[in-house]
Amino acid sequence: MRDRWAWLLLACALVFSVTIASATAPTTLGGLTPMPNDARVPTRFMPPGSFDDDPGPSDVIFPAQELTIRFNHKLHIGEQHRQCKNCHPGAYTSNSTADELTPKGLVCDNCHLSDHTNLAKVEPGGDEMGKCAFCHVGYKDGDGNKVADFVIPRANMVFSHQKHTARNINCGQCHGNVEELELATRDQLPRMRGCFGCHQQPDAVARGDAKGACDTCHLRGGPREGNVIRTMFAQGTLQPPRWLHNAEHGPDFIERHRRVAGGDSEFCANCHKEDFCTDCHDGRVRPRRIHPNDYLNMHPVDARMASERCTSCHREQSFCVDCHLRVGVGESSPSGVKSTNRFHPPQSVWSGPIRMPGHHAFEAQRNMNACVSCHIERDCVACHGGSGTGAGYNIHPAGFLSSCGMQMRRNPRPCFVCHQPSEIAPKCQ
Amino acid sequence: MAVKRLALGACVFACAGRAWAVDGEITSDTTTQFYDVRSPNGTPILMRTRLTTTLGIAAYDLIDRTAEPGQELQPDLTFRARMRYDADYGADPNEETPTSTDRFVPGFSRGAVDLMYAYVEGRRFVKGVIGFKIGRQYVTDALGWWSFDGGLLRITTPAFFALEGYGGLEVRGGMPLSGSLGRWEADGVWRGDRSGMDPTQYPSFQQADVAPAMGFALETTGVTWLHGRLTYRRVYNTGDSIVSQFANGDLSPVTYSGTRISQEKLGYAASVNFGKVGGANMGFVYDFYSNTTANVWATADVYVGKKVIASLDYDYFRPTYDADSIWNFFAMYPMNDVGARILWDVTPKLSVTAGGHVRAFEEQTQTDIALGTPSTIRSVDAIQGVIPQYTFNGGGTLSARYRRRDTLLAMNASANVGTEGDRVGGDVTGERTIETHYVVSGRVGLWHWEDNLRPDRSALSFGAVLGGAYRFFPRSQVGVEWENDINQLVGWRIRVLAYLRLAVTK
Repeated sequence: MRDRWAWLLLACALVFSVTIASATAPTTLGGLTPMPNDARVPTRFMPPGSFDDDPGPSDVIFPAQELTIRFNHKLHIGEQHRQCKNCHPGAYTSNSTADELTPKGLVCDNCHLSDHTNLAKVEPGGDEMGKCAFCHVGYKDGDGNKVADFVIPRANMVFSHQKHTARNINCGQCHGNVEELELATRDQLPRMRGCFGCHQQPDAVARGDAKGACDTCHLRGGPREGNVIRTMFAQGTLQPPRWLHNAEHGPDFIERHRRVAGGDSEFCANCHKEDFCTDCHDGRVRPRRIHPNDYLNMHPVDARMASERCTSCHREQSFCVDCHLRVGVGESSPSGVKSTNRFHPPQSVWSGPIRMPGHHAFEAQRNMNACVSCHIERDCVACHGGSGTGAGYNIHPAGFLSSCGMQMRRNPRPCFVCHQPSEIAPKCQ
Repeated sequence: MAVKRLALGACVFACAGRAWAVDGEITSDTTTQFYDVRSPNGTPILMRTRLTTTLGIAAYDLIDRTAEPGQELQPDLTFRARMRYDADYGADPNEETPTSTDRFVPGFSRGAVDLMYAYVEGRRFVKGVIGFKIGRQYVTDALGWWSFDGGLLRITTPAFFALEGYGGLEVRGGMPLSGSLGRWEADGVWRGDRSGMDPTQYPSFQQADVAPAMGFALETTGVTWLHGRLTYRRVYNTGDSIVSQFANGDLSPVTYSGTRISQEKLGYAASVNFGKVGGANMGFVYDFYSNTTANVWATADVYVGKKVIASLDYDYFRPTYDADSIWNFFAMYPMNDVGARILWDVTPKLSVTAGGHVRAFEEQTQTDIALGTPSTIRSVDAIQGVIPQYTFNGGGTLSARYRRRDTLLAMNASANVGTEGDRVGGDVTGERTIETHYVVSGRVGLWHWEDNLRPDRSALSFGAVLGGAYRFFPRSQVGVEWENDINQLVGWRIRVLAYLRLAVTK
């Protein structure tokens, strides 16, 4: 009797389980998110080059998509033993990112028994998995032949699937372990760091065509953009990631770019023509980001603090001297404009015996460029010239004799400005 | 159309015999600026009425290339040129007339036509091994910006490095089609065109002459996480140079003639990146003539999470000059600058950076008693034994940028304080493009500076700029900017800037 009750309970439990399982079948089939319960995709399933907690590929290169299809890759590949090429045969022949590689409904019809021959009048299959709502997210009975648009915009890059598949580069090498996922999203599109797994080759020795040049993958702008890499897209502006030559274009990049450009200007030239650089570095219009407000009035303070920044755009003995002479502040300004007012601190400080801030030797030794931006060499020679030329005040640093002979042999001109050849020849050997 | 293609090709090669997909562009930027420059003494006031216009011509794909997709990396030949006309119609003509001795300023010139660059560039020849450039061109590397007329050959080897060699003439101010500013030659020599000047007039102003130059570089290629470039350059001065600054003929030599070194430098720059961890950039410049290290820099970036970069910076700088310059021989000490900075990408559209730095200046502070009697030349080792000491400057920056597709908002502020003075302030700027054609922009700034050497030149300045433009094509627009600046030194100043940018492409 007890056994009979046991068997009855077991049968009820079985019926109940089957009923529950049937009722929740669409949910357990998955395909609405990459992982069950929308769990985070493990990094090992992501495309090569992905970081932990990866933010996804570039929005500019791979614009946002609208995935309105439920599809479970893990089910189709793992349990039903389908292969990538069964649904994506175009990936073996495509030479352009304009090609559509997602399967048409006709491919699904083989198993789902639907009929997508006439997209204006699609016939659903007979069972549950043949119905429109089974795959088309958001579809409701009564929607007729209308399903939500499925949008995968063209990638803004140069890419040939055919070239890669022909070299036996399997899908996972670029897209990660899609077979472990249910829905494959934009996150499975390649990462630039992953591309560099192969594309780390100079032009002359690339493995096949896996060259490292930017335009191997990035679109050129053509003459409209100076034939450099195209950077302006409807989705935004293409900028280098922080890990590429340490060149993230942050708000202060204008102050820091020399560290990148000075090391590898060819890298910059991929996206910028000379004009972009010369408009500031050899420009004729004051860039306000660098020289704000009436910078003309405040520039002396800045120049004394960081004159090497001035010299990245201005040559002191031409740009600076010319203007200083014209406005009469130069010691050698023409008589018609030269000011009689003293420009420098009082004589007692400027030329006094104590070298302190404000003394001309103190200022010159810490920042010679400030002197060079206003004075011509005659101004200095009057006092610092040697016997018979100037007043003889020595300006040479300690240990100067050890190298001046070599310098005089290579170019004696500056020596002779202050010294008679006969005077220094015996000393500078 | 074929004629147009041929005309573009003929810019470089007269042999253009068949039509192919030559792309070309013609660009022009024209700017007029109206403002005045006032001497800190009140007079003179220089009225500036400036006109600057450039004409750029480029032709791409000058040799036929297979149109097959995926074959973009075939040999490539390009021609690019840009000329500039820069004139100040507000200048006093006497400033460029040598006989007007009370106003003449050597080297100041108006209406100079300047060939900024004009070259043919070939890339990826001989299966990617050979590249070249012929004509007036720039070289940019650890040694700085530089321009020369000549040829450059680049050999990219299969061993992840490339060799580059170049030679020609340095572009110098005062030479034909080179403008007057001498932007590309080493500093320290006042040089230009002495035509019409008396030999005794401004003897410090040297006649520009041809400057033969050569250089080479060794550079890594192909690897994205590591890059290094070792570069060497040598430039010669030629011709006559006035030596005696008080050219009365009593002292000899009055002029020095002959080929002599102008600059000889070695530079190296490298960068490395460790994907998830951070990266570093570093480099140095050594000046062989001055026998000194001119520049050292290093930066280390550490990635703190996905959105934050923390950086440490170091800079060493000691000026060096053209070997014709006397200033190479002056006692001078380097600046050492140490800084730290943080970049925070708050959102994909909003980024903020903040940083600070300390700059150490080295100098002597004691009286040099050996120089007490200026009747004869002093001992050349007179400064020896003086204890160098340091003074410090410091400062900080704060920048933020918000960027949407049609809108840019930016804020920049900085503070720098030191023994020579302080400069503190900031500005906010915005630009918005409306319906792809209309551009409105604005800027306000408030800056205060304290000049410790000239306290009477300290001031508080308020500035505002309002601009508007009409963009008729993506790279073509016409606009006006109206700038107002107010400070107590010179009162209210106005600067009006009108510009026209044109780009015609095929």
